[in-house]
Amino acid sequence: MEQIVNLRHGDGGKYTNLLIREIFYKHFDNKLLVNSQDASVFEVKQGKLAFTTDSFVVKPLIFPGGDIGKLAVCGTINDLATAGAKPLYLSCGVIIEEGFELSLLEKIAESMGETCRKTGVSIITGDTKVVEKGSIDGLYINTSGIGVVQGEYCPKPVCEGDRIIITGGIAEHGTAIASERYQIEVQGDLQSDCMSLNKLVERIEKYMDRIKLMKDPTRGGLATALNEIAELSRLGIHLLEECIPIKKEVESVNQLLGLEPIYLACEGRMILVVDEECETILEEIRQCDGCEDAAIIGSFVNNGIRPMVFMETYIGGRRIIGSLEGEMLPRIC
Amino acid sequence: MDKGLARYLINEINLMATEEIKIMEVCGTHTQMISKLGLRSLLAPKIKLLSGPGCPVCVTDERYIDRAIEMIKKYDVTIATFGDMIRVGGMEGSLLEAKGKGRDVRIIYSPLDLIKMAEENRDRNIVFLGIGFETTAPVIALTIKTAAERGIENLFCLTAIKLMPPILDYILKQPSHNVGGLICPGHVATIKGSDYFRFIGVDYCIPAAVCGFEASDILIGIHYLVKQIRQNKKAAFKNLYRRYVRSQGNPIANQLIEDVFKVSCGVWRGIGRVENSTLDLNEKYARFDAKQVFAVEEKSIKSTSCECKDILLGNRTPKECKLFAQLCNPVKPYGPCMISSEGACAIAYRYREEI
Ligand code: SF4
Repeated sequence: MEQIVNLRHGDGGKYTNLLIREIFYKHFDNKLLVNSQDASVFEVKQGKLAFTTDSFVVKPLIFPGGDIGKLAVCGTINDLATAGAKPLYLSCGVIIEEGFELSLLEKIAESMGETCRKTGVSIITGDTKVVEKGSIDGLYINTSGIGVVQGEYCPKPVCEGDRIIITGGIAEHGTAIASERYQIEVQGDLQSDCMSLNKLVERIEKYMDRIKLMKDPTRGGLATALNEIAELSRLGIHLLEECIPIKKEVESVNQLLGLEPIYLACEGRMILVVDEECETILEEIRQCDGCEDAAIIGSFVNNGIRPMVFMETYIGGRRIIGSLEGEMLPRIC
Repeated sequence: MDKGLARYLINEINLMATEEIKIMEVCGTHTQMISKLGLRSLLAPKIKLLSGPGCPVCVTDERYIDRAIEMIKKYDVTIATFGDMIRVGGMEGSLLEAKGKGRDVRIIYSPLDLIKMAEENRDRNIVFLGIGFETTAPVIALTIKTAAERGIENLFCLTAIKLMPPILDYILKQPSHNVGGLICPGHVATIKGSDYFRFIGVDYCIPAAVCGFEASDILIGIHYLVKQIRQNKKAAFKNLYRRYVRSQGNPIANQLIEDVFKVSCGVWRGIGRVENSTLDLNEKYARFDAKQVFAVEEKSIKSTSCECKDILLGNRTPKECKLFAQLCNPVKPYGPCMISSEGACAIAYRYREEI
């Protein structure tokens, strides 16, 4: 096989087939995919289904702690997980720029396959397109996912006093990407938190009747997700800065670049809204791999004014945390 | 920072605040940290914290941006700039608009990236928008020196590097200024040394302190200044950032500045000409000076309704501008103080304190 992807690989003929077989089938390996024609057919038990889609255009394609492939699988799984659904099947559409290195494509496909195996989901349908050089930036991936809603979970009304749990350190994905993009070399442990959250949701299934809301703070970070929750619940959110888990490395890179971690994306964290007696749930979450730093970071208050998020800073000051507006750029001086 | 110490300092400061005391800082990082800590919500209302001209983008004159845009139009140069600059409008629109029209405008994160860019694009003339304060000057100087050593012929610099003391002179000479104490910029002092700011006490009888950027640094700084004011020690000056700041600064950085630049008259947005307030390339490096190589005509200035001038001079706070958060916000900014993420208005907007 050649070294790079060219337009022939996208013409639907022999080369397309070769690309699909030698890269995607090889790593996504499952019967439903390999035996499928234009659509895959599968059976489901009775119950509620959840369905979601997301596109991934991350730059760089490979970053500390993951790559676009892992991200595309985890991202969709996590969207299903926030709906309380156990993910079953994914689709995968890739758009490749002419000239893309085949070895890199294979690496990404391999990472997708591996992430699927680890989480117990399968990619059962897909599509590949190759576009002219310069019309996209390397590689874009879209994944859709179907899952079965588990147990009792459904979003419930949030009340004053309810607590907010975050399942781990914030801003790790956004900071890992920023440090690659702005070429900051970091000593120590700075990796994207990119991981699938379905195991976590399975683990806390027995508490679903007490979990009022789940949300993954991806684009726009913790701040933007909490603002959406405040808006939805018509209540204020009181955050405690000192309780928000954040790695030292993440903090220093953000300080260096002049970025705000609270607005940077997480790709393996979940925000949970639970009632006041949440210690047992927190303990259970902490038992889960990658969630050791989970913490209660704030609570809902009825401040009588408009719903908003405010933070009590670690020296006791107060300020409002708005949604992300405009783009965040590194500092000059 | 230890919560107990913070509480102690805040309490002490508030006890001393029996009359109105205005304290100014002139560094974007201080502006940001004060807001981020929610410090104003903790200090007595009589302590007023003002921001001065600490944002490199905000102080850049409209004509500078127009000049860059003219250079693209007339000479088809590539413009390389720090990100925030791209959105700031001159009278002829912004660089972002120029980019939208297909002009070659690129964002860089470190001036040293320019060397690679110039070497990889030998057929393009690249003009770097060299803005900032004493803090960015050494790395810009190093870039120019490296370019000279490597014989790079397609890299040029349109400089507008501002110097702190002349603009502080300008502010403190205004009869109406109401600065009671000054938090000196720790980053500038790291380069230039704490002695660089001694003149504030000597010439203007205003207590000043060089401060770092942690909560404790800032609180200790405010505590020090308020105490001097209350005790009428008006010429007091102290370096409270000894972990990084020496009295004479960083000799290597200063040598770089000296080698490449000369001091000349600067133009500040909304303020105008201030003598000896900018660094230009000196004769030895004149061939890198975009102003000389790509001569363009200078436009005259139209006035805007933005009150950035008063913000930069510390005469007003962002909230006192009638456009603040109403017509002017980061998505639809009116003036540079809102466009640049380091601007006082953008920071005041980002970390709103009123609940
Ligand atoms: S709020 Fe906007 S218009 Fe008012 S001074 Fe600040 S930047 Fe200028």
